[in-house]
Amino acid sequence: MSLIELRGASRTYQIGERRVTALEAVDLTVDVGEFVVVLGPSGCGKTTLLNLVGALDVASEGEVTVAGHHIVGASRGELSRFRRETVSFVFQTFNLFQALTAIENVQFGVDVTGRHREEPDRAMTVLERVGLQDRAHHFPHQLSGGEQQRVAIARALATGNPVLLADEPTGELDFRTGVQILELLHEQAHVGVTVIIVTHNREIARVADRVVELGSGRVTADGPPVGGQVPINELRW
Amino acid sequence: MGWLWLRWSWRDLRSRWVQVTAIAFIIALGSGTYSGLTSTSEWRRRSYDASYARLRMYDLRVSLAAGSFVDTAALSAVGTELESAGTLRSSAVQLVGPIQVDASQRGRTILVPGRVVGVEPVRNGPTVSTLSITAGRGLRPTDSARPVAVLDEHFGKRRNVGPGDRIRVSGKVGLTVVGRGVSPEHFILLGDAGTFTTEANFALTFVPIGTAGELLGQPGRANALAVRTRPGVSVTQARRALSDAFAAGFPDVGVTITARAADPGYRLLYDDIEGDQRLYNIFAVLILLGAAFAAFNLTTRIVEAQRREIGIGMALGVPSRRLAVRPVLVGMQIAALGAGLGVVVGLGVGSLMIQVLRSYFPLPVWRQDFQLGIFLRGAALGIALPFVATLVPVWRAVRVAPIDAIRTGVVTKRGRGLGWLAKIRLPGRSVTALPVRNVFRQLRRTVMTALGVAASIAVLLGVVGMLDSFRATIDHASKELGRSAPNRLAVTLATFDLETSSAVTTTRASPLIRRSQTELQLPGSVRRAGVKPIDLLVTISDLQSPIWHPTIHERVRGDGVVLTEKAADDLGVRPGDRVLLRLPYREGLTSYRYVEQAVPVIGLSAMPLRSLAWMDRRVGDSLTNLAGITNFVVVEPKAGVRTEEVQRALFGVSGVSSVQLVTDFADSLQKELDRAVGILLIVEGAVLLLALLIAFNAASISADDRARENATMFAFGYPLRSVVAMEIGESLLVGIIGTAVGLLGGWLLLDWLVTELLPTTLPDLQIVTALSGQTLLIAVLLGVLAVALAPLLTVRKLRRMDVPSTLRVVE
Repeated sequence: MSLIELRGASRTYQIGERRVTALEAVDLTVDVGEFVVVLGPSGCGKTTLLNLVGALDVASEGEVTVAGHHIVGASRGELSRFRRETVSFVFQTFNLFQALTAIENVQFGVDVTGRHREEPDRAMTVLERVGLQDRAHHFPHQLSGGEQQRVAIARALATGNPVLLADEPTGELDFRTGVQILELLHEQAHVGVTVIIVTHNREIARVADRVVELGSGRVTADGPPVGGQVPINELRW
Repeated sequence: MGWLWLRWSWRDLRSRWVQVTAIAFIIALGSGTYSGLTSTSEWRRRSYDASYARLRMYDLRVSLAAGSFVDTAALSAVGTELESAGTLRSSAVQLVGPIQVDASQRGRTILVPGRVVGVEPVRNGPTVSTLSITAGRGLRPTDSARPVAVLDEHFGKRRNVGPGDRIRVSGKVGLTVVGRGVSPEHFILLGDAGTFTTEANFALTFVPIGTAGELLGQPGRANALAVRTRPGVSVTQARRALSDAFAAGFPDVGVTITARAADPGYRLLYDDIEGDQRLYNIFAVLILLGAAFAAFNLTTRIVEAQRREIGIGMALGVPSRRLAVRPVLVGMQIAALGAGLGVVVGLGVGSLMIQVLRSYFPLPVWRQDFQLGIFLRGAALGIALPFVATLVPVWRAVRVAPIDAIRTGVVTKRGRGLGWLAKIRLPGRSVTALPVRNVFRQLRRTVMTALGVAASIAVLLGVVGMLDSFRATIDHASKELGRSAPNRLAVTLATFDLETSSAVTTTRASPLIRRSQTELQLPGSVRRAGVKPIDLLVTISDLQSPIWHPTIHERVRGDGVVLTEKAADDLGVRPGDRVLLRLPYREGLTSYRYVEQAVPVIGLSAMPLRSLAWMDRRVGDSLTNLAGITNFVVVEPKAGVRTEEVQRALFGVSGVSSVQLVTDFADSLQKELDRAVGILLIVEGAVLLLALLIAFNAASISADDRARENATMFAFGYPLRSVVAMEIGESLLVGIIGTAVGLLGGWLLLDWLVTELLPTTLPDLQIVTALSGQTLLIAVLLGVLAVALAPLLTVRKLRRMDVPSTLRVVE
């Protein structure tokens, strides 16, 4: 059974008197442990798709089911609980808590799911996994962009949730750092986390298990990368 | 180009309309309260001048020594002669004396002391010190010697006694109240020796002079002459002429000639203006300061929000001056809005002030002319506040290198000063650290918000603390008065009487009384060479009396006078020093003159009323030649007898003018205080509103600043209530800091008000600085709880947050 399932999912917005369709009748399924890249130009509905899966937004029409949770029609509290227990986010602009140190930001991910009682050292373990144990007590403004994004990934991983959603995670980073981040995200799929990355960078799509292309709010292509999957060290942008 | 900036700044304003409105109100409250409070002295002075002029207040008033009376016609002749001589414009005789008034109406028992003022019932009122009639009618020539009265507006209104009602005065004489009114000599009610009295418990009763003679047992006699000088004649000339005329006409009678400027009520009213104004100015400036901190806070935030756009402008080569135009225009628009609203608030404050004063002082004329200069100054401050508050962050923003200005998060992500905080491990979950860290991360904003709250709390503490101090002072007096025989009654006689007289013996022989003692209460004054005299009410009694005697500190051996600590301090004397005591001295059967004698101070009393003094009977009798004479009997009811029963029983005794519970004074003053707090309540209201607006604005700014962090939390499924709880935690910390600073500042302010300012405005009272637990609780509740709970006002905003859009905002 698929972990994520969208059936005829549409999202429209009313802007003044204008009705804008961001996503139109999208059908999509994603299995456990898949590494999926959603590709497309700006304004094609990539982020909207990610927001529907992450329950940050709710489809105007259709069905969205993630790990057995029906997103459409759920209450605010149910959506909040779903996000807490099922998905985690990595953002383009990191969105770290500026008043918390790296380890505390990661600890937030642990705390929010309530795992701090079961695994008191989880935050440091995860931070070690992203190679930042030496920067644990630094504040975000004391870290480089790449380090900040690694902290953000660690925070997302610390939740232990089965779905990791990343919106342009390399958008603010240089090539070398971007590759490091991709490696980190790619590793997660190997340990059973379903990873969905949204990007407009076609080069990144080459490392995905599956590429979903969007155009004007519709799925225009869905399958393995054109030319086949390549190792991350072959990427160039 | 100019229109673009204007439109742009207008959009900036609209995008933050809630905060802009709040800040405009804060500025309005600050500048408006400033204008309203600082403009009072001018319109109060004009109102007093006009009221005194309309009611033909006396220029000089001649009072015969206590207990002295002369023939009305002879006294009137002195005035008429001086009118003919061109010294006086007009004169009016009066007969004034103490009475007991039974104004009980429709089942309500109202038994109070009072004063009868016998005036000539001429058309349009007395020619000097005319009555202003507020209800019913005045006294007419046809009322001469009739049992009719005009009741003082203060008492009548408070006790709801007016035209058509009947009252009974000492000796059970019934009077019909034909009207209510106020005399310029009694715009403010004062008791003997300038002491305060309370309007609900003191019945000033104006009657035809013939009626007064009957009531006081002095038919055809008078004891005061009020005069107005002819234009061109100085008060000094008139005083000399009056002094000569009295010396010639009544050589055995002592007189006191009081100029209008020395009239206790007149002086108090005008002195109050200056004293009150100083107080209002302090409150106004503090409220303005609170508003300034709050204004600075928001405008800084608005400018910081534009920082990146300013950087883009700089990168595009736009001159700094031009870049500064947009935020400065926003500041100016807020300023204009705030200043405009400030005028409305100022007029509102003034209007509330006049209503409170009108209810307190029933003057016939109240003029609240628009004080253009003061309001312009207030508006200028209202404009300057946000304008200056805008300039500082704008100046800082345009000095940043373009590359830094464009870089994401250069300002908002700055975390100077956080390093040491990282070392502090807070218990609980990671987010428990966030409120504490945020407070220190944006230290300037925290300081500004805390100072705004602190200024409000300080004013609140100053205002309410003053009331606490008054209450503590009265409480102190009550305790001293009620130290022994707290149910004792003071029986005031209509005049000096022999201790063996019928009035005294009947009183003392009442079967309701357990024990009694006769005393003398004499108005006088005390001075020391080179120091202004102090009016006194000297009680001559047994200083070892088992019924009650004052607690005397620093007692020295010998005979002399016991002064209050306040009087001794003001005179600069200590026990053992000699003072010049001026008291009535009996010359004949009903004639007295004032005699000044050097008397040692033998001890001090802690009673807070400066005008009280005591002497032992043996010493006092010789100083006043009043041995065997009394005008005051203290009686203690038998066990189980109610004080009201004694009052009723003694009310009918001929020669008794009033019977009052000795602790009534303190009790009624306490009640009166609640009424006098009106003006302070206006200030308190403004302060409360300001504190709430500051708290709301701080929470609103905080919600904006934390929007992306809050959105991130929502994205991770952190519940709304937990996000709000975190914001409450942060506000709580700011509230605690602000309240702590405010409490300290408030205490210092209160101490200064009580020890420095009040002695100049209320010289007769020794106020002790006091702060009640209730006041502290209110201050803490307001400063901590209200500020802490202010984020609840942003719940709707958080609930409606567009999380995906907020997460993508590039700061």
